[in-house]
Amino acid sequence: MLTHIARRLLLAIPTLLALTALLFFSITKILGTPASMMLGEDASPKAIAELNARYGFDRPAYVQYFDWLTRAMTGDFGRSYTSQDPVGAAIAGALPVTVELALWAIFLAVLAATALNSLPNAPPALRRLVVFANLVGITTPNFILGICLILLFSVHLGWLPTTGWVPWSEGIVAHLRHIIMPVLTLSAYYFGAFSLVYRVEFSDVYRRLYIRTARAKGLSPASVAFKHALPNAILPVITFAGLSMGHLTGGAVVTETVFSMPGIGRLFVSAIAGRDFPVMLAVGMVVVVAVVAMNLVADILYTIVNPQIRLE
Amino acid sequence: MRLSSNAIIGAALVLLACTAAVLAPAIAPFDPTKSSVYFLQGPSRQHLLGTDELGRDILSRVIHGARASLIIGAGAALLAVLIGAPVGLIAGYLGGRTDLIAVQVIDLFIALPGLVLALIITVMVGPSLPNLVVVLGFVMWPVVARLVRGQTLAVREHAYVEAAVAAGGSTFWILRRHVWPNIARVVAAQFAITVSFAIITSASLSFLGLGIPPPTPDWGSMVRSGFDYLAFNPAMSLAPGSAIAATVLGFYLIGSSVE
Repeated sequence: MLTHIARRLLLAIPTLLALTALLFFSITKILGTPASMMLGEDASPKAIAELNARYGFDRPAYVQYFDWLTRAMTGDFGRSYTSQDPVGAAIAGALPVTVELALWAIFLAVLAATALNSLPNAPPALRRLVVFANLVGITTPNFILGICLILLFSVHLGWLPTTGWVPWSEGIVAHLRHIIMPVLTLSAYYFGAFSLVYRVEFSDVYRRLYIRTARAKGLSPASVAFKHALPNAILPVITFAGLSMGHLTGGAVVTETVFSMPGIGRLFVSAIAGRDFPVMLAVGMVVVVAVVAMNLVADILYTIVNPQIRLE
Repeated sequence: MRLSSNAIIGAALVLLACTAAVLAPAIAPFDPTKSSVYFLQGPSRQHLLGTDELGRDILSRVIHGARASLIIGAGAALLAVLIGAPVGLIAGYLGGRTDLIAVQVIDLFIALPGLVLALIITVMVGPSLPNLVVVLGFVMWPVVARLVRGQTLAVREHAYVEAAVAAGGSTFWILRRHVWPNIARVVAAQFAITVSFAIITSASLSFLGLGIPPPTPDWGSMVRSGFDYLAFNPAMSLAPGSAIAATVLGFYLIGSSVE
């Protein structure tokens, strides 16, 4: 097992290098140097050359890449072109918002998908409602769901604030009131996707002998479903949740934009709008590292839990 | 083949979107790009869904918007199948080192967030209809490739493939005559599902401001501009939003009804 994990760790390094290099070269090469953008359309070639020299854009691309990479590893992502602030600080400020949003969303999705699909003796109407909710969750784009929630809970009922963000330190209730709609919006797709995986596994587990034994012993249907079947059927959902983290960043970009949350996603969207390369690169790098790391964690967890791989 | 009720509902929704796209000039009550002084009006008898911030008829824009969504969705899915199916077929059939490399590349792409990737590439190449088709097709092909590879692995074990190999058939002939016909149904289903996700992604790009440039009616961009006037006229966002959701649901239902 240790060799398997070590091999996965070693494989992650070239993957990361390749992805960050791809990101760096594509963003800098195809968009060109930012000199013309910063100085305007009719800047003199001399001014452009001076700016290139100042920022180091006159060096070969691979030198620039390794320079950027070594700085990035120490947390120095350069300064934003638009705000002139250090990019590292902007990322550090935005990351906790996105991480909290993502964790809540995944947690809620796993909880709803497993609990609602394990209900013993659920009436057929309720089962059909859950299947329908799953379908809606998978097919409704994030931003449309978010807008519907805002219309219902903020504009019509006036229960929740439309958009914005209040940190924990300024009051837990206010914090939760601001985060509840974004979390619901982001988790809807995963609620649907996890349910599809969980239903298959649950009905498979439910036919096993130990479930029949538990039922024969006279345990209550709820105890059989939640204590015996659920823990045995949840593993594929956990693996899937780990692998969903990359996909989730896409959803976070949209959700944070709808609800004006100061997270990584909105930072990325505004960097794109302003062609702010250092910010784009830094966010891209954070996403890539997070995705590779989460895949690694999911893989290692799976190795630990699955005896077939463990025994090799 | 018996059709499930899901497949019938899906087909009806897709048919509705296709009808709107094809007959748009005939059935839309107004020119979708013509602005007027009657801007931001609520639903009325003349403008069933009201008008937008430039005084354009929302219903007409929703009807015309079906074109861009369907072209991008179907075009991107077609491209994804054209790239993904051969890669999956070859990787699954040949196995060994080829398969190992293909799986690494496929898994890597699948792990990357499609929307973020699409955002970066769209910024580089610029949003236009052909560009969006290519970008989304490029983002979606790995899912098709993984599915085709898995199906090919299963089909490869059958005796008739062994018989075809024993008969001296070339790899290309075996893939085309013996493997492909057995997986085409699943690929067709995946095509429909890919269309639905391509429409979601392109609408999300539009919502983030990277859609087809105006004045072409585009559902995602319409939701975006309506978002600023949500309290005045919710139909401005909800009408194109429902159109996106219904079309996506339609393709998804068709695709998921095939086992």
